[in-house]
Amino acid sequence: MAVSPELVFSVLMGLLLLVVAGWLTRLEDWQAYTPVGGGGYGESTGHGHEEKPAGLTRWLTTVDHKDLGILYSLFGIVAFAWGGITAMLMRVELTTPGMDFLASFGGVGLYNALLTTHGITMLFLFAAPLIFGFANYMVPLLVDADDMAFPRINAIAFWILPFATILMWAGFFLPLVGIDIQAAKTSWTLYTPLSSTMQGTGVDVFLLGFHLSGFSTTMGAINFIATIVAERDSVNVPWSKLDIFSWTILTQGGLILFAFPILTAAVTMLLLDRNFGTMFFAGEGGGAMLWQHLFWFFGHPEVYILVLPPMGLVSLILPKFAGRKLFGFKFIVYSTLAIGILSFGVWAHHMFTTGMNPRLTASFMAISLAIGIPSAVKVFNWITTLWNGKLRMTAPMLFSVGFVQNFIIGGVTGVFLAAVPFDLVMQDTYYVVGHFHFIVFGAIGFALFAAMYYWFPIMTGRMYDRRLALWHFWLSIIGGNVTFIAMLILGYGGMPRRYATYLPKFMTWHAVATVGAFIMTFGVVAFVWNIWQSALYGKRVDSGDPWNLKQSDQFSNEWKWYEGKRQTMLADGGEEDADDAERNAAD
Amino acid sequence: MATEESEDHGHFLPAVRDWPRGYGEASWWPFVTAIGLLVVYTGASLYVIGRGTDLVSSSVGLGAFVAGWAVTILGMFGWIYQAFVVDFWDRGSHNGGASLRLGMLLFLGTDIATFGAGFAYYFFIRTGGWHTEYLPESGILTSVLVINTVLLVFSSFTIHWAEGHLQKGNHQRFVQGLLVTLLCGIVFIGGQIYEYYEFIVHEGFTLTSGVFASGFFGLTGIHGIHVSFGALLLAILLVRGLRGHYDADRHVSVTTVSWYWHFVDAIWLFLVAVVYIGSVFGTEFSPF
Repeated sequence: MAVSPELVFSVLMGLLLLVVAGWLTRLEDWQAYTPVGGGGYGESTGHGHEEKPAGLTRWLTTVDHKDLGILYSLFGIVAFAWGGITAMLMRVELTTPGMDFLASFGGVGLYNALLTTHGITMLFLFAAPLIFGFANYMVPLLVDADDMAFPRINAIAFWILPFATILMWAGFFLPLVGIDIQAAKTSWTLYTPLSSTMQGTGVDVFLLGFHLSGFSTTMGAINFIATIVAERDSVNVPWSKLDIFSWTILTQGGLILFAFPILTAAVTMLLLDRNFGTMFFAGEGGGAMLWQHLFWFFGHPEVYILVLPPMGLVSLILPKFAGRKLFGFKFIVYSTLAIGILSFGVWAHHMFTTGMNPRLTASFMAISLAIGIPSAVKVFNWITTLWNGKLRMTAPMLFSVGFVQNFIIGGVTGVFLAAVPFDLVMQDTYYVVGHFHFIVFGAIGFALFAAMYYWFPIMTGRMYDRRLALWHFWLSIIGGNVTFIAMLILGYGGMPRRYATYLPKFMTWHAVATVGAFIMTFGVVAFVWNIWQSALYGKRVDSGDPWNLKQSDQFSNEWKWYEGKRQTMLADGGEEDADDAERNAAD
Repeated sequence: MATEESEDHGHFLPAVRDWPRGYGEASWWPFVTAIGLLVVYTGASLYVIGRGTDLVSSSVGLGAFVAGWAVTILGMFGWIYQAFVVDFWDRGSHNGGASLRLGMLLFLGTDIATFGAGFAYYFFIRTGGWHTEYLPESGILTSVLVINTVLLVFSSFTIHWAEGHLQKGNHQRFVQGLLVTLLCGIVFIGGQIYEYYEFIVHEGFTLTSGVFASGFFGLTGIHGIHVSFGALLLAILLVRGLRGHYDADRHVSVTTVSWYWHFVDAIWLFLVAVVYIGSVFGTEFSPF
């Protein structure tokens, strides 16, 4: 192969970029706007010896689980913004039956692309990374480990994510600079033959990014399992004392271990089909059914990969503000493990209408209904934890209670869908969309908000604005229920999912759903503004126990660590004050 | 690494001898590795774009793909070298290597799932409408297959033998055992390349030859990549062994790599039984 001028040019450009990046990292002034208060206290502003370099270099080179937890969380919030904006564009379009709002930007094609990226982003780039963010920061503290088992793999796993995201979103941004590749319009399920025959290299670029992001998740899971099993301080934290969040992260890790490689392998086959003429999903080969089997063998555990840690978060946070121990701790752990195991045996309930063997559908229905039992065990345990408790309605508590409410609706609608005769009617309607949005936003999202507020003092050293947090809660729970209940009703009416246009008879409830979505958006804006402002300028936390957990004897490991850290800081000469004074001067 | 300071998470230093130097919690290697992977996948994207459009030439993509792998491997090498190799005898053993051994077991678990997806495809077509015209004309059971299988099984014994001698304190036998294992692995890869060559060039049986070819090249290809990666790991062990690393008490990476090697061997036996023999079993090609 002759060396082409393009190749030389590319290499030179790459070198130039490296030089620029190197120069940027030397700009020590980046410290001045270190995001989110620099993980608590500027570790780099001088103790006896420095553990981390200053400036941007610190964030690019860090192998500290706390820093990476913050990076994961920031990344999750950015992805949340993109997922939210795409959702709102769709909701605005759906206010009217015809193609109006998006018509001049790309019409139905753009709608389909937005639909695809909204689903993929919320599941893989918002929910999962935010869970990993909290787990990164807290699990080593909760199990009394020095750090994650593999600190460098932890950093690789994080950095892969934003890079994969560039490729996954490229189909939207490259056309703006004149490179006309089409964004993927395959829906997040990537069903063949649509995904294997769809024209446009944007699909391939998206699939490559998606493929890369899978490695990040798998590495993270291996790391969490190894941390909890092998790095745990077995004297202070024996298995019997392992907290509920770590249990759910452990179970989640086990699910990821067997689910994600299946997805990665299936995406590899899809890429080979698209580009190298293999026949994995061609009609004569595995066909459409093989894709669905492989995808849902990954995809249903993925649901529990996303929901189990939020369940753990709620199980962790609820008792703290109810002043009681978690009711039936052991049963919550057992039900977590039970859900984890059962989750690999229910995948075909996504495929009841494909004409599978009825004996198979019946057995998948049975297991799917059975998975409702451990889920209900959890709900009753949460309710009994609240019973007779001394409830303190803080923001994390409100979001935890909201989680339970939303999870009940999302769960019960799910039990209906698990029944074959009901599913045959409701398959591919807005009923399904309403059901899983109650879970994904109403439950998973709420638990993540609860965790964000609950651990905000540890992660930033400051307190959030309580008034804004209450706005966030009430707007989210009202807006969420308005939107998703409207979707359930639309589904009963027969509105099919994934369409950009619809019959005029559905207009009223679509309009209701859009109004609800706007209410939610205001809540989310309050959230993002609150997090941003409070992390930088919020009131300093003045004790190691801002939630008065010692009172009810629930002062857990991460808060003990935090209190110890505060004491060390004060002994080192109160640099907090200096830091504050500097900020005030800057204002 | 569990020092007296390990109570305080803020002062735990996992990356003391690393680049950049002089810090405890900073390393460029993860970032370099991730950048490498970004370039690999961007290269693959450019390649695809180059084939589908005339925006770029696909050779640019291929170039970036190769360069990206070089950066990735550099990053991984730097990471492993500075985290585990550079001060091997001084650094002591962190929790007796429990995390690393568990990490390898978990990785092998993910590998079962990876191969599982490929085998799922193969079973799907094998139990469907199966035609022998999917197979290469002169049959799939060749002498290369027999030699390769014997070699790989034999190499599982030699690495076990090497590990056993290390535990008995016989470092020289250990190195010899590793060398033999590595050679077996390399010859296996050579055999695989020869088999592909015969199929593709002389038989016209290629990746695009139909539903069996997809499964055959997919599964043997991913297995071949695993063997090649295993050979790289064995080569690293060998170099470290020659430099005097490892003794009866400190040989976590020998253990984990040997697990990996046994695993790849086991997958191969399953593959031979299911894909090679299973594809002709019960058909007119069957020698049984």
